[in-house]
Amino acid sequence: MVGVRLANISKKAGKRQILKNVTLEVTDKELFAIAGPPGAGKTTLLKIIAGLIAPDEGQVYIGDQMVNTVPPGDRDVGMVFEVPPIYPNRTGFQNIAFPLEIKKMNNDQVKERVEEVGELLQITHLLERKPATYSGGELQRVALARVLVRKPRVLLLDEPLKNLDAKIRETTRVELKRLQREFGITMIFSTHDEVEATAVGDRIGVINEGVVEQIGGPQELYSSPRSVFVARFIGSPTMNLTECALKQMGEKWVLDASDFNVDMTRRAHQIESEAMSQELLLGLRPEDIVLVDSPANSRCFEAQVELTQNFGDERVVTISVGKVSLNCLTGKERVFTYGQKVYVKLKEEKAYVFHRGTGIAVARSTN
Amino acid sequence: MPKLVVKNLRKLFGTFEAVKDVGFQVEEKETLCLLGPSGCGKTTTLRIIAGLEVPTSGQVFVDGVLVNDVPPQKRQIGLVFQDYAIFPHLSVFENIAYGLRVRKMPEAQLRTKVHDTASLIGVDNILDVPGRKLGLSEMQRVAIGRSIVLDPKLLLLDEPLSNIDAKARERMRAELGKLQKEIGIATVYVTHDQLEAMTLADRIAVMRNGLIEQIGTTSEIYDNPRTLFVGNFIGSPSMNLIDCELVYSEERAILKSGDFALDVTEFAETLRAKSKGRELVLGVRPEDVSVHVRKTDEEAMECEVQLVEPIGARSIYHLKIGRLAVLAKGYAMPEVDVGSKLWTTFNKHKLHVFDKKTEEAIV
Amino acid sequence: MTKTVRYLLIVVVSIWTLAPVAWMVSLSFKGPTEWYAPNLIPIQPIFDNYISLFIPTNPIGGSYFFTSITEPITKPVINSLIAAGLGTIFAVLIGFLAAYGVSRYRAGGTFIIFFTLLTRMLPGATFVAPLMVFYASIHFIDTYAGLILLYTAVTLTYAIWLMKGFIDEIPPEWEEAALLEGASPWTVLRKITIPLTKGGLAASALFIFILNWSEFLFALVISVTEVTTLPVQISKYVSAVGRMYGTMASLGLVATIPSLALGYLIQKHLVTGFTFGRVR
Repeated sequence: MVGVRLANISKKAGKRQILKNVTLEVTDKELFAIAGPPGAGKTTLLKIIAGLIAPDEGQVYIGDQMVNTVPPGDRDVGMVFEVPPIYPNRTGFQNIAFPLEIKKMNNDQVKERVEEVGELLQITHLLERKPATYSGGELQRVALARVLVRKPRVLLLDEPLKNLDAKIRETTRVELKRLQREFGITMIFSTHDEVEATAVGDRIGVINEGVVEQIGGPQELYSSPRSVFVARFIGSPTMNLTECALKQMGEKWVLDASDFNVDMTRRAHQIESEAMSQELLLGLRPEDIVLVDSPANSRCFEAQVELTQNFGDERVVTISVGKVSLNCLTGKERVFTYGQKVYVKLKEEKAYVFHRGTGIAVARSTN
Repeated sequence: MPKLVVKNLRKLFGTFEAVKDVGFQVEEKETLCLLGPSGCGKTTTLRIIAGLEVPTSGQVFVDGVLVNDVPPQKRQIGLVFQDYAIFPHLSVFENIAYGLRVRKMPEAQLRTKVHDTASLIGVDNILDVPGRKLGLSEMQRVAIGRSIVLDPKLLLLDEPLSNIDAKARERMRAELGKLQKEIGIATVYVTHDQLEAMTLADRIAVMRNGLIEQIGTTSEIYDNPRTLFVGNFIGSPSMNLIDCELVYSEERAILKSGDFALDVTEFAETLRAKSKGRELVLGVRPEDVSVHVRKTDEEAMECEVQLVEPIGARSIYHLKIGRLAVLAKGYAMPEVDVGSKLWTTFNKHKLHVFDKKTEEAIV
Repeated sequence: MTKTVRYLLIVVVSIWTLAPVAWMVSLSFKGPTEWYAPNLIPIQPIFDNYISLFIPTNPIGGSYFFTSITEPITKPVINSLIAAGLGTIFAVLIGFLAAYGVSRYRAGGTFIIFFTLLTRMLPGATFVAPLMVFYASIHFIDTYAGLILLYTAVTLTYAIWLMKGFIDEIPPEWEEAALLEGASPWTVLRKITIPLTKGGLAASALFIFILNWSEFLFALVISVTEVTTLPVQISKYVSAVGRMYGTMASLGLVATIPSLALGYLIQKHLVTGFTFGRVR
């Protein structure tokens, strides 16, 4: 069980820069999530760690050893691919035993190991059958068994839950986390689903277009995002963004978004010093926007309901204020109709500020 | 008059009964979702409505007309496939105009129609863009446009948001919802994602093994699931299901399961009437299970945290009450971690009690 | 299309395809007097056409036809087997490795398949003459080496093209997983790729074998006496005066046996080759 470290990894494919100067570190026994939209470079990154792709620049360290020149077979790394590598011409048992076969382990030991893993993943009933009869979830588990049977020191998973039904995804991700804790293995997995990333990962590395945007724990990324991309990526429903400018109103400082404004007096000084220009973006998470029937105080403003989406235990209501549309999260007890007038109360202390040109966060709350 | 009526549909593939007995109605401007796990028969049902499959028995009526023997292209039904199937070499205009050209509509009329549809779905500024250059949401709109330009009586969508990544899905969901409201055609769509069903449909038909378990509005399905399967399938995370039995001690009625006991004296009457010594399953949604650091309620039960799944402002807590595993969804409490001891209460007004297989007794 | 029309079509196509074969069978049992007769069943069936394949005899109606006597077919059969057999084996072996390189490592660039297939678009007749001159200069005329080399070179293109398709069917992740577990690329080929593409390989091999086995033009030009293959041998039954249809027919039928046998032997693999689908 060891840590994994990547230093300045870059990779090009043809003219496209897939990875740009990626540096990150995964500690021993950690469950690390690489999260990002499709095409961000997640699979390439995992394959570089595994040794299936060589980086153009940079070093890969597994444990304390630099493994750039070590062939994939000798890195003692296990990888579960998006397409489960299960061979249809062999039974479940034979598939799982395959890596041990390559290492030329004797038959008794092989049997023991395979049965051990089979029991752990509850797939003993599948061992004698051929893969053609497996369901999606079973396939993934057999693929996982095949990797685990070798007891590798690092486990890589490439979008392991992507091809599963929504319900099964929920239960499988819990299993994944539980397994990792039990085994205590260093695990790195990639996903495009930020809910998966934050729910499962101890720490998350958010990647966009080959660049690491931010690395941190789920809470950190949520409350203290370093850029617009991270702020919108983490958190479901997505954060609302509006253009605004810092202005003085009497004794207070506000972020003026023309149709409404947010009191920023406490952070105004910080914003002024950190932001180079007046062109700013205001970020508000839907859960920080409260809808009330009558204005509670002078800071509330009026808005009109455009759309409601039923999420079961909550509702997402899209309101419009002037030219701006905002998504708000409300409880299910309230019923809103199209065109209804509501009053909006903002949790102003939870507002996020970003620089409009670069997208970098300004005056972040330190958590 | 309902735009679509489906009666007693049955479909056999060899000996496999994909659809056993399906029937429902869709009114004008209504969106119905066929929801269920893979293999429940929802896609087959959709294909039968479209005319791509012939039912073994049963009828399909579109706008009052029996269409069993009518070939798909004559049914006046629009179908949008899972991957949109946009012609990559044709422009947006041509893609939408395709069906009209096949029907040999005169050019002037065709142009007006395509332009009207394009503004309705918001693609009138990209009419010249070739199909292969379109982004996902544009493709979705063009696919829908291509179907509605023919003025269909009914619109069918097959897993419209399955192939898209999570963030884009959020955006497209809202767009699709808006579009549906604006276009106002009766719509039926198929999905295995219960969130998609809840957010886009007016009514949901939950299917399983070729049968509809329950059909109702989104709120009905969510708040009043009629069967264990429906209760469990809808809602994320899934509803907690606890095997238990009704026990009477002193004056109180208690639902008991191992170390777990819940006082339900308020509902003793209804329970006694309906339960009649049957094995019961208690269903509680994770959001109706609250967790507190301190014992704030008399009836709070002690539990230990097994696992925490942080999701933005909330977290899903995997708790153990005695030996019983329960999921709770509540606000994120960063200080809580594996091994923490918490107190939990169940919202008594949100309990669902099921017979070991089917019914439910209280809300 | 209604059922009767469909059945009718099937019957018509079947007759159209099998009629020449039936005629060949009939001819092979007929004597020279009946060769031009329209009856399918020989009035006086004889076995001499078959016997003369194995034992050199005076042909029926001997001097009427030509001067040389029929030769036993042992030599042409062996020649064909060697030429077509080895040619196929080499083409498949080299072709498989090449196809693997093209499929997995993009060897030769994006259009390599197109360019190699391009070579097959020239009719053989155009380069038969220069080939003969070239072969003469390196003393390859009438040699096994010459024939085998040619057959391999010509069918290699098809081998690569066909097998690349089958290799593409296997997701690269399946091989990467094995690499990750310590297998060398050769082990990967041996334990994964080949077992999974067995059907495709069998089908390709059969196809190429048939191509080589029935190849006529080059064999005719290159062989003189030593390496006559079966197709060439059949052509020898044509003389200035007439054609020995009887022996041509019998030899023709006998010549199809190896292809049929090979097909029969590997038919199990053919099925798996064509119905192989991804496990989902």
